[in-house]
Amino acid sequence: MGALMVIFSLQPKQRSKTRDSVEDELELSAVRHRPEGLEQLEAQTRFSRKELQILYRGFKNECPSGVVNEETFKDIYSQFFPQGDASTYAHFLFNAFDTDHNGSVSFEDFVMGLSILLRGTIQEKLNWAFNLYDINKDGYITKEEMLDIMKAIYDMMGKCTYPVLKEETPRQHVEVFFQKMDKNKDGVVTIDEFIDCCQNDENIMRSMHLFENVL
Amino acid sequence: MAAGVAAWLPFARAAAIGWMPVAGAPMPVPPPGKHRRQEGLIMLNVSGTKFQTWRDTLERYPDTLLGSTERDFFFHEETNEYFFDRDPDIFRHILNFYRTGKLHYPRQECISAYDEELAFFGIIPEIIGDCCYEEYKDRRRENQERIQDDEDMDQTNDLVAADLSFRETMWRAFENPHTSTMALVFYYVTGFFIAVSVLANVVETVPCGPGPNRVKEVSCGDRYALAFFCLDTACVMIFTVEYLLRLLAAPSRYKFVKSVMSIIDVVAIMPYYIGLVMTDNEDVSGAFVTLRVFRVFRIFKFSRHSAGLRILGYTLKSCASELGFLLFSLTMAIIIFATVMFYAEKGSSASKFTSIPAAFWYTIVTMTTLGYGDMVPKTIMGKIFGSVCSLSGVLVIALPVPVIVSNFSRIYHQSQRAEKRRAQKKTRLARIHAVKSGGANAYLQYKQSRLLIDLDEEASKEAGQALVCKANPGFEVHHHHLLHCLEKTTNHEFVDEKTYEASYRDVTLVNQVSHSSSTSSTSSPHGLSSCCSRRKRKTFNVPNSNMSVGLQGSIQELSTIQIRDRPFTNSRSSRSSLNAKFEETVPLNCDQSYITAAVISMPTPPGTTPEGDDSTSSTNYSQANIVRVSAL
Repeated sequence: MGALMVIFSLQPKQRSKTRDSVEDELELSAVRHRPEGLEQLEAQTRFSRKELQILYRGFKNECPSGVVNEETFKDIYSQFFPQGDASTYAHFLFNAFDTDHNGSVSFEDFVMGLSILLRGTIQEKLNWAFNLYDINKDGYITKEEMLDIMKAIYDMMGKCTYPVLKEETPRQHVEVFFQKMDKNKDGVVTIDEFIDCCQNDENIMRSMHLFENVL
Repeated sequence: MAAGVAAWLPFARAAAIGWMPVAGAPMPVPPPGKHRRQEGLIMLNVSGTKFQTWRDTLERYPDTLLGSTERDFFFHEETNEYFFDRDPDIFRHILNFYRTGKLHYPRQECISAYDEELAFFGIIPEIIGDCCYEEYKDRRRENQERIQDDEDMDQTNDLVAADLSFRETMWRAFENPHTSTMALVFYYVTGFFIAVSVLANVVETVPCGPGPNRVKEVSCGDRYALAFFCLDTACVMIFTVEYLLRLLAAPSRYKFVKSVMSIIDVVAIMPYYIGLVMTDNEDVSGAFVTLRVFRVFRIFKFSRHSAGLRILGYTLKSCASELGFLLFSLTMAIIIFATVMFYAEKGSSASKFTSIPAAFWYTIVTMTTLGYGDMVPKTIMGKIFGSVCSLSGVLVIALPVPVIVSNFSRIYHQSQRAEKRRAQKKTRLARIHAVKSGGANAYLQYKQSRLLIDLDEEASKEAGQALVCKANPGFEVHHHHLLHCLEKTTNHEFVDEKTYEASYRDVTLVNQVSHSSSTSSTSSPHGLSSCCSRRKRKTFNVPNSNMSVGLQGSIQELSTIQIRDRPFTNSRSSRSSLNAKFEETVPLNCDQSYITAAVISMPTPPGTTPEGDDSTSSTNYSQANIVRVSAL
């Protein structure tokens, strides 16, 4: 009995430590970010005032603090793909949206990205896609990077697919991609090779216009 | 999918561009873009309190009333807003659900009001946020228990003896002693005999002074063996009869035999019979003595008589886990301390701690702070551990006890609440009844005044004006008109209690005097008995200009005669007697014949051959006799 009492008296010290860390976390999340003015955003993006208003309302509702961190980003994106695991692809997306690489996506980043994706020229869109695939942002897409991206995309499908997903399917897909894109067969794809190849591919061209009426 | 995430759908779709260069096959055609949906504010007017929100906010949850086209039914063109005639306080929470995605339950609202609002707006309560869900569930359970109790009460009270078979009556008598005096008598008699039996068991062990031929003291049981035996026999007779009767009356014999109370009954009477069977057998007499111990179980039969005892038993059953924990921790502690004490006291000479099991007794006595003092540690180590043992005993026992106490308190208060509610219910129903009858009386008064107006123009001019001033427009007027239509349909009229009582009395009088013969109606007894079983009492009493009689023969006929005579004997000035009015107004405003139907609560009214009855009125008759108007 005495031993039990001694043990109980030891506990509170540990708990106070965890409580402190929780309070710290709360303080961090109290950081508020206010976006630039509406006029500035209107000038920098291709959205109208009304569209920006709608976008901001949705954004602020989900992220009252004004910024999205990677966890929240992954959560939100995963909700659209319940069968599979969208966290890896969301990670790459996050890096693509987080242009200033500060670990969080503010409303400006968000809106800039969307502006390119929805209202940008083909060139801009292809640029953006290249940026997404180029994980280390060195200007070249290597096979390993592409494999990562491919695996992330196939992960979103989940297990229950028809035909059944096999281990080497991403790799095969990467091979196909590289055969198409890598003109000089040096094992990497540069931005020019990428853009050239995509502009010559009808399917890709057509699909670039697919989501123009989203907003 | 959470609705807030729906706002991010454009983003997810845009990000899909990232797949395009990788895709091998052409993409499917996108769905047609929504025609420029009106982006704007929606005005929601809830009982005067105005709420505004974006259209998109509401459309986040398209399977609710506000999010779907169902809200168009509530659109009010004149003010260009959506009007809901509901509670604005609760609506605030519902609208917040659309805004934040989380539904909260306000503690100060009534749970059933809240549930109704949720049901109206098409929101399932399961999405209440974690912060409020537990509270919501607790309150809901409590409310349902309350309603369940009331319903149970209703069910048991509604059944009337006439409907049940003998067996069911007996069972009801056993379960609820308040239902009839026989049951009450039986209840008290069994209680008395249980007490007597237990008392006898106790007293027969008391030493009664030296026996007739002996020197040493004998117990009363041995001295007056015959008397005690007779007493025991009588008690066991009663208990056996009671058990057999219960077994006979039980709706499910198997379930009854399995129930705890019946097992107690059996255990209470078995020793006697076993004792009868095996007297004078030396070998088993020892066992026979043990069996006598079981006689004390008769005291548990008292639990049928005491609700508190039942609650205690129920509490113990529901706290089984806490009790189990208590027992387990005690056992652990006993073993630990007994071992320690044994080894601590092993050194001292002449120590009572001869073995660990022997030390168990010391540990138990010390932990429960009894401290008999028959076993005491003598070494210093023994004393130290002994003190630790007693301190810890207090703790271990004190821990589960409050849980058991709170459980008992909750169950006890619940049963008290059930009792209170039953008592309150009677007064509540009586008051509601009075208000309702006020309504019925209003109609009768209205008719009176209406007839007054028809009757006597000048005299009733003031009354008429008074009526006009007093008359409640709208609802009352239409309601009265409705009742009037019913009267015309059934060719009967509403009367008040007094007139009905009076007519009934006269009818019975007349019935005794004159005979009734011939065709008795077959349909009436059943119909009337079913009417009787309803609590509402309704009366019809309508004067009859011509003596047409329907199926329900003579009573009505006689009552007709009687009633027709009576109004003339009544003073015209008495306004309370409606019959007078009827009779006078009959030539004035009735073209059709009214039929007297004094509905009597006698189960089998004999009938007479109808003499010149209206075929139309006879059909009305049978219906009318079933229908009764509440005058009280």
